[in-house]
Amino acid sequence: MPLPDTMFCAQQIHIPPELPDILKQFTKAAIRTQPADVLQWSAGYFSALSRGDPLPVKDRIEIPMATQKTDTGLTQGLLKVLHKQCSHKEYVELADLERKWKNLCLPVEKFRALLQLDPCEDKIEEIKFLALGCSMLGGSLNTAMKHLCEILTADPEGGPARIPFETFSYVYRYLSGLDWDISASDTESYLSSLKNSIDSRKDGMIGLSDFLRSKKENVENLEKKTQKT
Amino acid sequence: MPRRTGLPPKPSSRNFPEVPLPAGTLGCWATGAGGAGGLSAAPSKPSVAPTSCPGNFPSRPLPFLPPLLASRNPCPWHYVHLSGSHDTFVATCFEPKLHRKRSGLTLGVACTLTDRASPAMATYTYTSRPRALPGRRRCYRDDQMQQAEEPMHYGNIMYDRRVIRGNTYALQTVPLPEQPDPAEIQRQQQAKRRALAKKRAQEELRPRTPEPVEGRKHVDVQTELYLEEIADRIIEVDMECQTDAFLDKPPTPLFIPAKTGKDVATQILEGELFDFDLEVKPMLEVLVGKTIEQSLLEVMEEEELANLQARQHVHEELRNVELAEVQRLEERERRHREEKERRKQQQWQVVHKHKETAQKIAARAFAQRYLADLLPSVFSSLRDAGYFYDPVERDIEIGFLPWLMNEVDKAMERSMVGRTVVDMLIREVVGKRLSLYERKEDRHSSLKPEDGLSGPGGMRDPPVGYEFQDHGASQAQRPLPDTDSLQRTPYDAMYMERVSSQDRKLMEEEDEQTNEEILQE
Repeated sequence: MPLPDTMFCAQQIHIPPELPDILKQFTKAAIRTQPADVLQWSAGYFSALSRGDPLPVKDRIEIPMATQKTDTGLTQGLLKVLHKQCSHKEYVELADLERKWKNLCLPVEKFRALLQLDPCEDKIEEIKFLALGCSMLGGSLNTAMKHLCEILTADPEGGPARIPFETFSYVYRYLSGLDWDISASDTESYLSSLKNSIDSRKDGMIGLSDFLRSKKENVENLEKKTQKT
Repeated sequence: MPRRTGLPPKPSSRNFPEVPLPAGTLGCWATGAGGAGGLSAAPSKPSVAPTSCPGNFPSRPLPFLPPLLASRNPCPWHYVHLSGSHDTFVATCFEPKLHRKRSGLTLGVACTLTDRASPAMATYTYTSRPRALPGRRRCYRDDQMQQAEEPMHYGNIMYDRRVIRGNTYALQTVPLPEQPDPAEIQRQQQAKRRALAKKRAQEELRPRTPEPVEGRKHVDVQTELYLEEIADRIIEVDMECQTDAFLDKPPTPLFIPAKTGKDVATQILEGELFDFDLEVKPMLEVLVGKTIEQSLLEVMEEEELANLQARQHVHEELRNVELAEVQRLEERERRHREEKERRKQQQWQVVHKHKETAQKIAARAFAQRYLADLLPSVFSSLRDAGYFYDPVERDIEIGFLPWLMNEVDKAMERSMVGRTVVDMLIREVVGKRLSLYERKEDRHSSLKPEDGLSGPGGMRDPPVGYEFQDHGASQAQRPLPDTDSLQRTPYDAMYMERVSSQDRKLMEEEDEQTNEEILQE
């Protein structure tokens, strides 16, 4: 132990003044994020901290924790963390993304499986990756869009979660393009119907209530039609 | 005063050793009686009593017995003032002499006194302390006060030293002394009386100190001419020490307990004493524990806040949606209401029109029905009234008939005039003829009176008749225009009436026609 001079008692031990704060922030982050592998996550955390990158920390504790046994282990919070870390550039390196994925203690196989949906070389558009992740989160396209809205929105949590309609339509087209069951004409008609309702407002933002309700209305309309026939 | 407090115990220790010495040295620094008390106590001391007379010891009047003393009054000097003790002294004839001469003589007197009394007193005599009767009035105020101050006390006789207990055989028997000389007794009594009187006189003569002020009390002090030094007084030396004002109290030095046990030394090499891993452990525990605790708390707090905020936002969002919905519903409601109003208005108009039409139709029907009855009746009445006529007939009636009548009238007039002219001619002719006839008669009177008679009569009659006839004729002829006029006037009236009624009827008809027109309109 390289000590400057001989130590005789505990009072001589010096604690760096910034240590408690770092330690506290780290502990808070760990409590909030609840990583499966704390060590790996800590490595990612501190490397991000030293580089000044956005930290891999969830904004909120997610009470229904995703277990990697039954589902993918991916949660909306984790996706949001990933989005936060990558959103500064349009395209992200796959290697970088994989490292970040690993730092969040997510299995690499899932990452590979995710990328198999839309194979690409070494770069992927960040928004596409996010959309893929959202589609992995929930079953239907609509829930995926809901997750996406909640991640991308600048509104406070619990708010209307509005995103620009261009982004929405882009992601919707992309995801519906991946799905073989949905025809392009359906997608377009749906988007145009949404656009009509959006155009009445000036900001050109689409919120959760817009397309979720419209979906409901669509379902109701369909039911009415079937009843009529 | 300070001396006073220190003194009371002294007499016991100081007086007795001095008993053989002249009483003068002892002095009496209280009162005369006090000095006497001090001396008279001397014989009571056992050490002195044997020297003078062992036999008469019990017979001595002992006013200052220790128990009595203790119980009565702590101050022996005061005791002497008691009236009771006064009597005792008088009996022994002790005190006055003492008072008078205190220089060395007192002891001798005391000895002689005791010697003198010894043959008179038997082996045992009991004398209780003489005292005054309670009912007797005091001669002196002083005594009275004393009496009042100090109530009577009786000692326990069992402890009284004067009471002999036990076998009396062992007691030394002294032959009863022969009867004292009566003269001697008398002389003694006389002397006693004299001394008493003297003492009284002296006491009366002596100026008394005035009464003490309220709240104070008289105290005896040494007022002798020759002051005696009190030798056993503690020597007092005054020392002074000036301290600095308001000096701070120096801090209490740290208490270091005295070292106990043995010192043992051990050699410690560098690095042996301090184990960093061990020492750092509590600190680390604190650091980690505190950090975790605090961060847990903070996370919980932040989570709570975030939850609240999220809930609030959700609520706000819901509210916004509901507000929009409410607005939409309100708008719809408003539109519905307007539509309803409009339709109501329309319906009202329709109903109104219907009503109006119905009313019109009803009026028309009524008018028609009314007029249907009216028209024939009007026509019939008009017809009855003669409004509808033949114009030719009317023209004849109006134009021709009056003309005709007029013409007839004129013709009648002319004929009438002709007739009257004819009548007048006839009358004139008749008259002339009559006159002619008469003149002829006068010439023929003789020829035919009867003719005259019958003539005039006949003549008369025809004129009358003629006249009558004429009159009648004129009468008969005259009525024609009369009747004509008579006939004409009613006709005219009727005609006029008819015309006027016709006119009226025409006007009425016209009125009705206009009325009908108005109704039809």
